[in-house]
Amino acid sequence: MKRILIVDDAATVRLYYRTILESANYSVEEAINGIEALEKIMLISFDLCVVDINMPKLDGYGFLKELRRQAIDQPPVIMISTEAQASDRQQAYRLGANLYLIKPVKPSELLTHVRLLLGEARA
Amino acid sequence: MPFIKKNNPTMDSYEHDCSRDLNELAVQLVDENPVIRRSAALNLAEHQGASEILIDRLKQDRDISVRDAILTTLISLGDTFAVIGLVECLRSEDAALRNEVVDAMKQLPEKVAPIMTSLLVDVNSDVRIFAVNILESLRHLQVETWLDRVIEDDPHINVCATAVDLLGEVGTSTSRAALIHLRSRFPDEPYICFAVNLALKRIGEDKGT
Amino acid sequence: MKKIIISEDDFQKFREFFYRKVGISFENDKRYFVDKRLIERIELTGANDFRDYFIMLRFEASGQELQQLINVMTINETYFFREEYQFKCLVNSILDEITRNKKDTSPIRIWCVPSSSGEEAYSIAIYLLEHWPGMTKWDVEIISSDIDSVMIERAQRGHYSSRSVQYLPATLLTKYFKPSGDGYQICEDLRSSIEFTCVNLMDSVEMRAYRKFDVIFCRNLLIYFDDLSRRLAAETFFDALNPNGFVCLGYSESMSRISSLFRVRKFPEAIVYQKPGVDL
Repeated sequence: MKRILIVDDAATVRLYYRTILESANYSVEEAINGIEALEKIMLISFDLCVVDINMPKLDGYGFLKELRRQAIDQPPVIMISTEAQASDRQQAYRLGANLYLIKPVKPSELLTHVRLLLGEARA
Repeated sequence: MPFIKKNNPTMDSYEHDCSRDLNELAVQLVDENPVIRRSAALNLAEHQGASEILIDRLKQDRDISVRDAILTTLISLGDTFAVIGLVECLRSEDAALRNEVVDAMKQLPEKVAPIMTSLLVDVNSDVRIFAVNILESLRHLQVETWLDRVIEDDPHINVCATAVDLLGEVGTSTSRAALIHLRSRFPDEPYICFAVNLALKRIGEDKGT
Repeated sequence: MKKIIISEDDFQKFREFFYRKVGISFENDKRYFVDKRLIERIELTGANDFRDYFIMLRFEASGQELQQLINVMTINETYFFREEYQFKCLVNSILDEITRNKKDTSPIRIWCVPSSSGEEAYSIAIYLLEHWPGMTKWDVEIISSDIDSVMIERAQRGHYSSRSVQYLPATLLTKYFKPSGDGYQICEDLRSSIEFTCVNLMDSVEMRAYRKFDVIFCRNLLIYFDDLSRRLAAETFFDALNPNGFVCLGYSESMSRISSLFRVRKFPEAIVYQKPGVDL
């Protein structure tokens, strides 16, 4: 079973993604901000991270920067944010995000992208 | 045994020389060495009236340790200039700074409460989202009323989404009607339906205190 | 007395709040444990039901009830070799990195706070003597501090109950302790090798004397602090450390609830936090 890490400071958002992903048979872990996400990635390996941008202590950009500079597992990262400006998208990609989505995300949209990034998409 | 023991913890000579004078600290606050800037920022906590120069520096400084020190001092000063300056920073282009400022404002609940009403109707939806984030830590009787108003009126889906998350924790049956109305405002948004249903469930069989 | 019931939704609500504030996430199999303690606190505080209690817990300005609750939800006991994996990390990974990067031969400085009755600082000293080859080459200074002067006196005295030494290997107990009264007395060499001081972490002026440390152990303390005190403690630790110095927190603590000042570092034995170097 593929394992996905959800990183968002809002409990409802984490539960929403969890519900969608678990219904598609993914195993899910949660983190409340970038620091906790890094700690989890250091402890267990993930196939994918779904990461918010605005979070306390270490935001999504800071998380990406730190993830990419450390010699630890490098799962692909989907950034999901309320920030809709082109500059935010560019910054996320520059820091090594694999995909940038804008909130709120519909279940089918999330699953499509997750499957694509995990190489499970059907032709 | 190779353990050594000094009689007193070491006093750093630099620390001894550190100025207490407002003007000197203001100069140190723009020094090129971040260690000196950071130390100046922390020492400015002893100067009422330092908020403006601190805010000025906060907007420019790229060093996390300096910004962190500035915010710590602004929290302890907690005057009107500090709060106004922090609100300005919520509009910054720099995401890291915005998040640091939200964190700091959560620690100034009494100071932020009087301006909350205006923050929640700010023209910038990002500022409104941050305002709801700050509400999370506010110990204020109005919190639920403010959140209800947001989900009743705010046209922006992500502002409402942020408010619903918090209502799941602090909401009572008073919020029930507003929640149901929100669901009908965004009938095609699965996230809003999910969040509203969860909040209603958490509110449960409430007596409406 | 009316029977207090924690519903499934109450539990979830509490779980999310506690996770956000404290960083401890209770899984569903801990439900009985959590319910029991919640009910105990609800009754002791005279709250009507979970809802009343939760409002008080969430909105209380002093944060005292949250502190009480953390107390009953966690085990706060100090004994020799508690959370030993971190001492392993110290001798197998951290100290080697520090000595590799050191530009002079000045002593390695380690700060334990809170000292409590001294078990942790003495454990570190024993661990270094027993397991760190670098002891032949480097001087080490251990300072252990607490706000409570009674604790400092007890630490300096170095007399411990058998309960407190129960996880020490027998050989080490014989080597470093002497039976005394109904417990054990730590040997004079160790007793005199650690500097115990009485300090208030929140006093920034007093804290200026605490500088140039390579490693800080601060375990099971910040979890009890409110957000602002955590922030101030993090500032203190940052300034007390040399660049690239390390902070070790307790098992159930995480910097993710405390500060952005430090970088997360993974070693084979533990996850610790590091002050960024000057080049960054």
